[in-house]
Amino acid sequence: MAASAPSPIGLNDMNSEQFRRQLRHESEQWWSEGLINADLYEKLADRYQFDRLEQDASHRFIMILMGLGAVLLGLAAITFVAANWQAWPRSFKVVLLLSCFLGVTVTGFYLWNRPEQQRHRRLGHGLLLLGALLLGANLGLVSQMFHQSGEVFELFLVWGLGMTAMAYGLRLTSLGVMAVGLVGLAYQMGFFSWFGGQDLAWTHLLIQHMPLVVSFLFVPLAYWCRSRVIFGLSAFIVAYSLFLNLIKTPSISGLSLTSGWLMAIAWLLPIALLWSYSRAMWQFSHLSAPVAQPGLTQPRMESDSFQAIARILALFLLSIVLYLFSFKGIWRVWGWFNSDLTNLIWHPLFDAMILSVFAGLGWLQIARQFQFQRRTTTAINSGLVALILLIVATVFVYYFEFTIIPLDNPAFVPIVNLVVFNILLFLFSMGLIRDGLALGDRPVFWAGMVLLILGIISRMLEYNTGLLLKSIVFGLCGVGIIAAGIWFERNAKPQSTRYLLKY
Amino acid sequence: MTSPTPDSQSSANQSANQSQALSKQNLPASPPLAPPATQPTERRLPGWRLWIPLLFQAALIIGVPAQDAYTMATGRLVTLQTAPVDPYDPLRGYYQILGYEISRVDRLKQLPGGEWLNQGIQGYVPEGNIYVVLEAPTVSKTNPPAVWQPVRVSLQRPTDLADNQVALKGQYDGWQIVYGLETYYMPEDRRQEVNQAITNTPQQAFVVEAKIDAQGNSVPVSLWVRDRNFRF
Repeated sequence: MAASAPSPIGLNDMNSEQFRRQLRHESEQWWSEGLINADLYEKLADRYQFDRLEQDASHRFIMILMGLGAVLLGLAAITFVAANWQAWPRSFKVVLLLSCFLGVTVTGFYLWNRPEQQRHRRLGHGLLLLGALLLGANLGLVSQMFHQSGEVFELFLVWGLGMTAMAYGLRLTSLGVMAVGLVGLAYQMGFFSWFGGQDLAWTHLLIQHMPLVVSFLFVPLAYWCRSRVIFGLSAFIVAYSLFLNLIKTPSISGLSLTSGWLMAIAWLLPIALLWSYSRAMWQFSHLSAPVAQPGLTQPRMESDSFQAIARILALFLLSIVLYLFSFKGIWRVWGWFNSDLTNLIWHPLFDAMILSVFAGLGWLQIARQFQFQRRTTTAINSGLVALILLIVATVFVYYFEFTIIPLDNPAFVPIVNLVVFNILLFLFSMGLIRDGLALGDRPVFWAGMVLLILGIISRMLEYNTGLLLKSIVFGLCGVGIIAAGIWFERNAKPQSTRYLLKY
Repeated sequence: MTSPTPDSQSSANQSANQSQALSKQNLPASPPLAPPATQPTERRLPGWRLWIPLLFQAALIIGVPAQDAYTMATGRLVTLQTAPVDPYDPLRGYYQILGYEISRVDRLKQLPGGEWLNQGIQGYVPEGNIYVVLEAPTVSKTNPPAVWQPVRVSLQRPTDLADNQVALKGQYDGWQIVYGLETYYMPEDRRQEVNQAITNTPQQAFVVEAKIDAQGNSVPVSLWVRDRNFRF
């Protein structure tokens, strides 16, 4: 008999059971039709264990019943606890909560820690997740029992930090994702309760330094667990919190004013940081090492996908910036401020400084690689992104710092800025479309199309044009989309590409 | 269905060999952009990978009431006069928001040391902290206990307190001073009772007892509605 190869599919997976049934049915047919011979059928039967299918089915039935029973038992326990909650003394309740939490987590770990038994692993994993939820319940109930007057975001923050520790210890992606989600939620809630003054409570400090906290706590976790989800979420939170903190800086310094430099940094630093992100950012030695020749070094798998995620996020944010500032309405909102930066809160600026050092290193790396790649294959490349960022920064700084904005004239419209931003939006979307066509990459092409259509329609709706013109524009856009789609599918050859990573 | 003939068997062997050879090649199971699909979990993890984070989490849970437990053990019992939280109905139900006479900036402005509050408080509070010095009442023990009166206000922790005085630390949060004594979670079975008692009581007879330690941290101990006591 042939040596039994390891089964390629977990024998307890329900999908695989369906597959095995089908395979058994099909292979019997093939055997009867003479397509395969008895020897091959035997090998298939042995490899996929056709004879165990009935056993597995009854096993699954038992597991379902047990699961149902366990859920009912759990409900009974919870209701029992709720019935007696007031009557029990506080110390007993704390002991009960702690022991429940510890018991579930420890049991989950010891079940999960057996690589050879799939069933135990899953149950253990589930118990570990339940334990993480119980951590939150414990924190909430204990703080309620002791009448703590803290804010909700502090609870989420502490919960998220506790879960992060466990995610690091056990290297579990699911825990990591939950932890990132909780910390992000805590940041959003804490952002609004971050009042002025020199508030030194450690939770408020964490909120003020959220970009650094997330980048030093969760990005390594993403590498440790090799999870793109964690990286994507933490990159988004870094960009978002950096932006929000910087925007809020002037208003909590006691003055509702801002400056062109702050605007430029707040809107553009996240994009610059994300675009220039690479694994090499974490290693400072590359600055002195000889520049890698393209083609000789193969970047590692996860750093490739992480860099791609960061760049996609950067382009997404850039398109939002360009789109937002192409409206004439928004220049009126931001036009109320002038520049006066006394009594500034320095925490977010500190984060911005540290992260801009990282961004600078990243761009330096890109610039050095530029020397070796004469010809660029993609329109959206680092050069174009750098150019766009510089132009936008110049417009912001010049407009907010050096021009006097006539606030009392409601009809004032900064024409130069609008023209610049609309041209940039147009060029950017054309660049995306061109790349999508050249590389046969569908999402990129459609992103460019969507941006272009949105731009056209927004301009049309914003400036009061006649209904006839509007209907013509809508019609043209519709026809254009259909035609572009058909042309794309017919002409472009879809290839799997390493878009955005060439350069 | 034919019995295996030599040539079909060899062709079967050939195809088997081919499939084996194919499976030996390391064809990437996923497109190059995807990281390895499975986590590196083939080895058993050592126990300490669980215990250290678990102990950290247990410390977080126990740390929630830790400060308060210390204050409860080492603090001094004082009685504070409550004030209505807002002119309309105070929040009732699952928890009550308590306000104190000393939460109001107006009340503190009148005390020695509080004159600068008249100019607006923002920008003058270096660490957001305000210390209110409370003096014990001279009457003997009553039910409900007599209220401690605020005598002065200072930005730094006062070091020259008399025996019958204690300093309470608070924070300015935008329009009032917050001491950490503002939240009272109603016990479910007595919620009706407590709500009833509060509704029918004039504000003066509604006082809160709290413990204050040497650093000015405070923890609430019990609630007096007229002469009925509800422990926190």
